[in-house]
Amino acid sequence: MTDISADILALVTTLKMAAVTAVILLLIGTPLAWYLAKWQSRFKVFFEAIVALPLVLPPTVLGFYLLLAFSPTSLPGELWQSATGSQLAFSFSAIVIGSVLYSLPFVVQPLQKAFEQLGDHHLEAAAMLGAGPIDRFFSIVFPLTKASFITATVLGFAHTVGEFGVVLMIGGNIPGETRVLSIALFDHVEAFNYANAHILSAGLLIASLLLLSLVYLLGNNLNSNLNKKQRVTKL
Amino acid sequence: MSLSTLPNNSPTLNNTISTLSLDFTVSFSQFETAIKQNISIDNITGIYGDSGSGKSTLLRVIAGLEKQAKGQVSFNEVTLQNSEKRDFVKAESRNIGLVFQDSRLFPHLSVYENLAYGAKRRKNPKLTIEEVLTLTQLTSLQYQNVSQLSGGEKQRVSIARALLAEPKLLLLDEPFSALDKTTKSQMLTFLKTIQQQLQLPMLYVSHSLSELQYIAEQLVVVSAGKISHVAPIHQAIHYLNNRGETSVKTSLSLTIAEHLPEYGLTRLKFNELQSTEQSIYLPLLALNSQRSDEESLIGQQLPCMIYARDISLCLTEPEHSSIVNHLPATITAIDYNNTNALITLKCAEQVFYAQISLWSAIRMALVVNANIYLQFKANAVHSYHYTGSITHA
Repeated sequence: MTDISADILALVTTLKMAAVTAVILLLIGTPLAWYLAKWQSRFKVFFEAIVALPLVLPPTVLGFYLLLAFSPTSLPGELWQSATGSQLAFSFSAIVIGSVLYSLPFVVQPLQKAFEQLGDHHLEAAAMLGAGPIDRFFSIVFPLTKASFITATVLGFAHTVGEFGVVLMIGGNIPGETRVLSIALFDHVEAFNYANAHILSAGLLIASLLLLSLVYLLGNNLNSNLNKKQRVTKL
Repeated sequence: MSLSTLPNNSPTLNNTISTLSLDFTVSFSQFETAIKQNISIDNITGIYGDSGSGKSTLLRVIAGLEKQAKGQVSFNEVTLQNSEKRDFVKAESRNIGLVFQDSRLFPHLSVYENLAYGAKRRKNPKLTIEEVLTLTQLTSLQYQNVSQLSGGEKQRVSIARALLAEPKLLLLDEPFSALDKTTKSQMLTFLKTIQQQLQLPMLYVSHSLSELQYIAEQLVVVSAGKISHVAPIHQAIHYLNNRGETSVKTSLSLTIAEHLPEYGLTRLKFNELQSTEQSIYLPLLALNSQRSDEESLIGQQLPCMIYARDISLCLTEPEHSSIVNHLPATITAIDYNNTNALITLKCAEQVFYAQISLWSAIRMALVVNANIYLQFKANAVHSYHYTGSITHA
């Protein structure tokens, strides 16, 4: 296999991993952010700290513990094997689970902040008009916090693309399965193949920059629209 | 529809009376609201109290927005919550409407979409959105963004939205307190008209007695987290007089007899219950004398108020005075305090309160059961009734 086609395969694996991770993060992160925003308890800070851990922890620490947990001899690994028939460690599923944990704060934090800012006022009004909790979420919460959902999704996706430590520990560098861009780049550098390393590095740099610019552009537009509405409301 | 049409308060028009049965306590860190009361709601019942007295909490419990409330709440014999039996009907299933002070319109929806939000989720639709748009005079604003509306328009949308959910009971939490006086009187007249047309029982919370006096037929007084008094509106206001909580005033409803545009006055007469032929004049109500009888309000009841400090007394009939209103009355009580005297009088069956200086009371040698004349200017008769039409300025 040539370097280029191997790199393209790594790119496809990376995008697949990031997309699957982003979807799972939205499904888990939204209710989690909701409860953290609404929950009033002194234990709340503890859970907020757990969610924020990946921001400060070396990814290799998370990767190390996940590697132990995913091994066929540990309980989670064993359960996975008996349920799916395949090993969890060094699989695509393993790097997705690792990415979900690793990118969790990038999705939960913007959503939690948005839900806190939204408050209860509009939700109470919706309840008095006969809307139940799920109805209220889709008819009021989501449309009013759309900008934060976009930010959360893109940050979760982009941060997963840029991940290295966790994947290195639990992925095992299997082409087409767990070999992602950041690892392919590391391999090139190790082999002194700087030309290919440059292509990957510059590509990742530019793609990330474009993606983040898009987030800020969308966020600014949506926010300024909402602000405009609220400003007029106050007059 | 003319907004200046005053509702006819004849008993035949009244619908069946709704009953609210309350027995609950809610505790916040420093403050407990403990309510035990059955309230019959006929048309509009007012809830009066100072800020922090617990009146908004009372409304939120009825609405189902205070889950931590302990005890029972039921409406028309249907249990809404019973903490002992762990029953709790959620706010969205109670079929009770709530109009908030801060309107709480959904900023991402247009006026029409805000109304449709309630309409889409109701069980047995009777009203159409178009009917309610017409009723609330919002047809021309329906495609607007809610952020472009004025304060009064926002509250009209908020009321229209609540009406379209077709609740069995409508709660209003200081809905007009942020509005200027003219807009407020427009809105009060408008709300009263809607109430009569839809026959929807309403609970109206306010800290303004004059607002409540105009809109409510019955008053629930809340103080320090408890209901301290429930009575027909005029009696309740006179009860508050005696507790010294507000400036003393006479509260009464009179029948509109005729308009005298040439003198800029409207003449009111006492109703049959008050058994007297006397008249009271106030500044002209109907602006347009071309109006039909119904539109000019003749024969309808007008709630009005006269402050005790605006009524003076005279030992003989003051025929040669610029003051237009004078009525014969009998003194029923005299209460002296440091600088003045509060005189309670009766003209036929109607109670009046007059506040005069201590010096005058002594000089006139006033005694209980003495016959006397009370007088007050046309301008001293206050009513929230709005006579113009609603503009979309």
